[in-house]
Amino acid sequence: MASAPFKAQLTDLLNSMFAMDFLDEQFKELQMLEEASGPGFLTEVVTLFCGDAERIISQLDALLNEPAVDFGKVDANVHQLKGSSSSVGAKRVALVCIKFRNVCQENDKEGCIAALHEIRHEFDELRKKFQTMLQLEQQIQDLDSK
Amino acid sequence: MTSSQVVKTLIVDDDVSTRRIYRMMLFRFGFEITEVGDGKSAVDQFLTGNEYDLVLMDKDMPIMDGVEATRTLRGMGIPAKIIAITTDANSRGAFFDAGADEFLLKPVNFTALADILKAFNFLN
Repeated sequence: MASAPFKAQLTDLLNSMFAMDFLDEQFKELQMLEEASGPGFLTEVVTLFCGDAERIISQLDALLNEPAVDFGKVDANVHQLKGSSSSVGAKRVALVCIKFRNVCQENDKEGCIAALHEIRHEFDELRKKFQTMLQLEQQIQDLDSK
Repeated sequence: MTSSQVVKTLIVDDDVSTRRIYRMMLFRFGFEITEVGDGKSAVDQFLTGNEYDLVLMDKDMPIMDGVEATRTLRGMGIPAKIIAITTDANSRGAFFDAGADEFLLKPVNFTALADILKAFNFLN
């Protein structure tokens, strides 16, 4: 089957994402939901998550660049990002959010800026892997439907 | 239950991807789903005459949070089953005091949600 090499690549990619803690068991729940409902669900959820995360990270950047930082708003945004990353199984992003909230609750601006850099790094790495995952899934779907 | 045989469900969460996940979890059971992004919108759904059998309620949302929305709905005499779903483990007591029927921590496990729905007699 023409899609076999792409399926193998996808399996390897996902295995490495789990092994490196980019993803956790919650993502497996989502995979099971997609198996039960048909293709498209994971693409939709991952796309929504990435869009939302990008928006929140930009908002955090703006908040931390204010002369007087509103740590309450910063915390609320980080909390939201932690929630959405936990819901999709984005483990490393969720873990950095926990660190971020700890420094935020201490009103530590420098700590928050450092945590934001770390979130940005983890999210960018995850997003690249998600993009590869979605491209492989699309190729598999296209080949299997022929 | 509402007069329909279908379980009418209101999903209340300000995160779109989370709402989509809950929708897919409940889609498997044939539930009828409405989504809103904050507690006030949830209350407004009932104020405008909509009826729901089940509410999945997040805690931290803009305008009105989930605990306040739960308290408001119970104050209105809304009998729908309310499942609080949040990352804030410390809010369990506040949710039950406000009138929630069940409490789940995020991320939601499909089996845990299904067990609660069975206990509510929403699943055959």
